[in-house]
Amino acid sequence: MSSLFPFGFPGPTAFYLFLYVATLVLHWVFMNYVLAGSGYVVVVGLFPTNTDRPDPIAGILREWLPFMLSGAITAGIAPLLFLQILYQYEFYSANLLLFHRWMAIVPTLIAGFYLLYVVRSARFSGWPPVTRMPIAIGACACFVFVAWSWTENHLLSLNESVWTDLYGSNRIIYRSKLVVPRLAMWCSMAVAPMATIVGWQLWYAARGNAAATTSNTRRVGIVALAGLVLFVFAAGIYGWVLPPAERQVFGQPAAWPYLLLAAFALALQATSWIAQLSRGRLSAGWLTLASLGVVGAHAGVAVVRECLRIAALDFAGLYPRHAEASQNGGLPVFLFFFVVTSALIGLSLRIVSRGWQEDP
Amino acid sequence: MEIPYYPINDFGPLMKGLVIGALGIFHVFLAQFAIGGGFLLCYYEWLSQSGRCRVARRFVDGFFKLLVLISFVVGAVTGVGMWFTSIQISPRTIGLMVDEFHWLWATEWTFFCLEIVAGYCFYRYGTRVDDRSRLALLGLYALAAWFSLFWINGILSWQLTPGGWIGTGSIWEGFFNPSFWPSLIFRSITCMTIAALVACVVANLIPELTRDERAELITKASHFMAPMVLMPLLGLWYFGSIPPESREWVLGGSVAMTLFLNLGVGASALIGGYALFGLLRQRLYVNAATGMLLCSLALLATAGGEFVREGVRKPFTVRDTLYSNAILTGEVAYLREVGSTTADLYPLLGANELPNEQIRLGAKVFRFQCSICHTLDGANGLRHLTAAWSDDQKRIMIARLQHTKTFMPPFAGTPQELEALVQHLSWHNSGQPEAWPQTGDSELFDSIGEMLADAGAGPGVASLPQEGRGQR
Repeated sequence: MSSLFPFGFPGPTAFYLFLYVATLVLHWVFMNYVLAGSGYVVVVGLFPTNTDRPDPIAGILREWLPFMLSGAITAGIAPLLFLQILYQYEFYSANLLLFHRWMAIVPTLIAGFYLLYVVRSARFSGWPPVTRMPIAIGACACFVFVAWSWTENHLLSLNESVWTDLYGSNRIIYRSKLVVPRLAMWCSMAVAPMATIVGWQLWYAARGNAAATTSNTRRVGIVALAGLVLFVFAAGIYGWVLPPAERQVFGQPAAWPYLLLAAFALALQATSWIAQLSRGRLSAGWLTLASLGVVGAHAGVAVVRECLRIAALDFAGLYPRHAEASQNGGLPVFLFFFVVTSALIGLSLRIVSRGWQEDP
Repeated sequence: MEIPYYPINDFGPLMKGLVIGALGIFHVFLAQFAIGGGFLLCYYEWLSQSGRCRVARRFVDGFFKLLVLISFVVGAVTGVGMWFTSIQISPRTIGLMVDEFHWLWATEWTFFCLEIVAGYCFYRYGTRVDDRSRLALLGLYALAAWFSLFWINGILSWQLTPGGWIGTGSIWEGFFNPSFWPSLIFRSITCMTIAALVACVVANLIPELTRDERAELITKASHFMAPMVLMPLLGLWYFGSIPPESREWVLGGSVAMTLFLNLGVGASALIGGYALFGLLRQRLYVNAATGMLLCSLALLATAGGEFVREGVRKPFTVRDTLYSNAILTGEVAYLREVGSTTADLYPLLGANELPNEQIRLGAKVFRFQCSICHTLDGANGLRHLTAAWSDDQKRIMIARLQHTKTFMPPFAGTPQELEALVQHLSWHNSGQPEAWPQTGDSELFDSIGEMLADAGAGPGVASLPQEGRGQR
């Protein structure tokens, strides 16, 4: 990994790596909203404010979480596809080793999905906390379980040396000192992006209503900054518990520019939120910068994550597989329909905006 | 030749095919409901806007909520679940499919994205936008949903009838394979039928509708079932396009497959007859209970059809390329030389409970070559299937496996491994005693080797020349 990611690899490998990272970042945006959003709903429920006014962030989250989960699942298909091209043997082996415990993410996701719809329902707000909280906690727990499963699966896929022992032990849980710090890092990383999206939603909903914007800015800004601080702290711990050989990857030419990008993007987000907090209102300009920061931080982290994985595997041995897969046709068709369906997605949004009736 | 060895899980008394079959049937039913639902809603919306059925608009909004709650949740997640389950059952099969068709799968993904966005736009804003926008959103949703069927249909039908892909490796020859069109049209009509049947239930569950309004909606829904008259012809077209031996199995060669075919055909005939004569001609009213019963019949028809579709591929999961036990056609001869378990580093669970090395080897052979379709004591259990066979019979039957039953793949191991499997089965059939003699001398192994050579390393069914992708 002596060149900037992904240029140091053969063409097909670099192309699949690029597609994997790009689609993974898209998936993370939705996933962050669901993971951190469901967590926020729980926190607000456990520690309600003294005011009678319902929490505006929780209100937006409750409304949008089911859609965002749909988005997360749909957006997750593409990186899952490219993952199977890039690291098929490793990914499949980890899936098989974790067996029932891995497959449990399917019913867990369905349960979490329906709990989100319950949380979204009009009746939910009217229920007593003793009824509301188990539902909200249950939904959040489902997504934390899925995050934990992915974390464990990823780490196991990198550690081939334990596969036969794990299989022979008939255990379906992979214990590693890296699982908890890594899970904490991902969970904390989800907070600031969630706050940024909610920030846009609040900004859009409160256009022209300065009073509403001011009170909401404080709340969402503090959430975002708290998330950033937590993430930096958790990432530091994760870096600290990483074996020294793996830490060396951070200094390699493929990874360190992206580490810098992630650090810069985090600083950009922090600046954006501090500026908005000090001005007391959400602004499209600062939210745009925060959004760029989210994308930059995710892209940087995704690439560094990939560099760690590549260093842990005999990656050069996989090049022929990637080259062979790239010989299969269909790429022009994919690119064509990618453009067409993207245009139709834009058209769907335009149809709503043009056909909107204030008094239907 | 490098063959990947994956950890193989034991599903207990459940045959692995039953696990993926159950999830697959459930997922396919929901997916077909979502696809047909898109077109049905367009039709109802048009009926409403053109003044042909005023009550249709209320129905559209109610039906779409159900569609989102069922299809966008369980349908979507079980779709991902199918991928994960396929990995659990046969990682090499799903791996081959992904390798070959990943760009078409990625294309399907773009339509999923459109489906979700157009669908949620209608779900959230359908009641707040004008008529033209409602119809446009529903049209986009329906288009995206149907195209997802288009793409996956090509990949799934390729498994049974890979067409010119075998010789050329061209994914387009594989995608537009001989069973592509009959399968696509058949499935499209199935989607319309399932959506219409669910509509009969939903029409009864909207509380504010009068009985006359419900009857009107049900009559309109029955129009969507009219294309079922084409199903017999499409079925014949489909059966004409599949390999002859696959046809023979469903037409009596395999009792289980024949029964499932009859289940699918019978359930479809009942639904079709009721729809064409009862609903369309007699304009009968369908209450919620009858509607549910018809939906259950449709689920049974789906189950029968999917079981047959999966079953007729045997002995392959990808025709002429990959056997159902995840061994490439080109690997059989190699594995007979080097052994199928030699490179399998995963330990045997419960190895200490087995009496000797030969039985342990037999257990590993069973795990690698048989466990994907068979259990020892549960569903499709080998212990039961071979209980009456003597050791010599077992040797002959297994050595000539692809000729014993043409839907079985050839045995892909050394004579020593075959004998170990025979002893493993015999030990089980004898009540698993603590001590068991090791068998086999060079004469016996030579004799097994001759039987294997005599049977050949190819499949028992007629196949295309072994020069295609299976040699990779």
